Amino acid sequence: MTEAVSAQEIAITRVFDAPRELVWKAWTEPDQLARWWGPRGWSNPLEMITLDVRPGGEFRVTSVSGEGAEMSSQGVFREVVEPERLVLEEPAEDAWHEGAVSVVTLTDLGEGRTEMVLQSTIQTTDEMRGHAEAGLTSSLDRLAEHLG
Amino acid sequence: MAADQLTTTFAALADPTRRAILTRLAHGEASVSQLAEPFPVTVQAISKHLKVLERAGLIARGRSAQLRPSRLQGEALKEAADWLAGYRGFWEDSFDRLEEHLREIQKGT
Repeated sequence: MTEAVSAQEIAITRVFDAPRELVWKAWTEPDQLARWWGPRGWSNPLEMITLDVRPGGEFRVTSVSGEGAEMSSQGVFREVVEPERLVLEEPAEDAWHEGAVSVVTLTDLGEGRTEMVLQSTIQTTDEMRGHAEAGLTSSLDRLAEHLG
Repeated sequence: MAADQLTTTFAALADPTRRAILTRLAHGEASVSQLAEPFPVTVQAISKHLKVLERAGLIARGRSAQLRPSRLQGEALKEAADWLAGYRGFWEDSFDRLEEHLREIQKGT
């Protein structure tokens, strides 16, 4: 009945009161990225960040929690179009997904404001895929939104 | 949430009629007949769906024998949604920090 879905899409849009060049730097310069990457309470030691911002270049950030736990994000830059577009490909990661491609698009809104859109396509694991095939994910998202 | 409970929750959510029922209940509690109205199925069929949703902890039902109004139990639904939203959550958290960071570095200029 439903088409087999093997990928889940998420899209997040944010508008920042900051010029596009600044947002671009926040994504592409290690000392900038270190200041915001990851959940609150995690820090990103500069010596554990690799940002080779060019097509095929490596992306690696190891975040450290207050308790000393480590969490790594890694991947490869697939596209780099300064100052408006980054495509990042992440390899499979434990139970969560079998790889993900994220596209970051920065749009200059003028007056020092920038719209940032993140679109991720996540190749889901078998378990996740089962739910996606059931048409679950999108309606669940809508319900969750409704519940706030 | 335990894995078993998640499985039950997701199984309950996998049916379009049950999801529609939950969406309806998001607007407020309703009796079985009210819930059955928009669907081309019997009240008995809706009752069955409600039992599945109740077992999954997604809804709670009143005690009044006749009407037994159903209402949404946000907790289980939220936990299931959270589980799926882990990836999104990472970005949302990061972008909150990014927003603060961008504000911070512009203060000095």
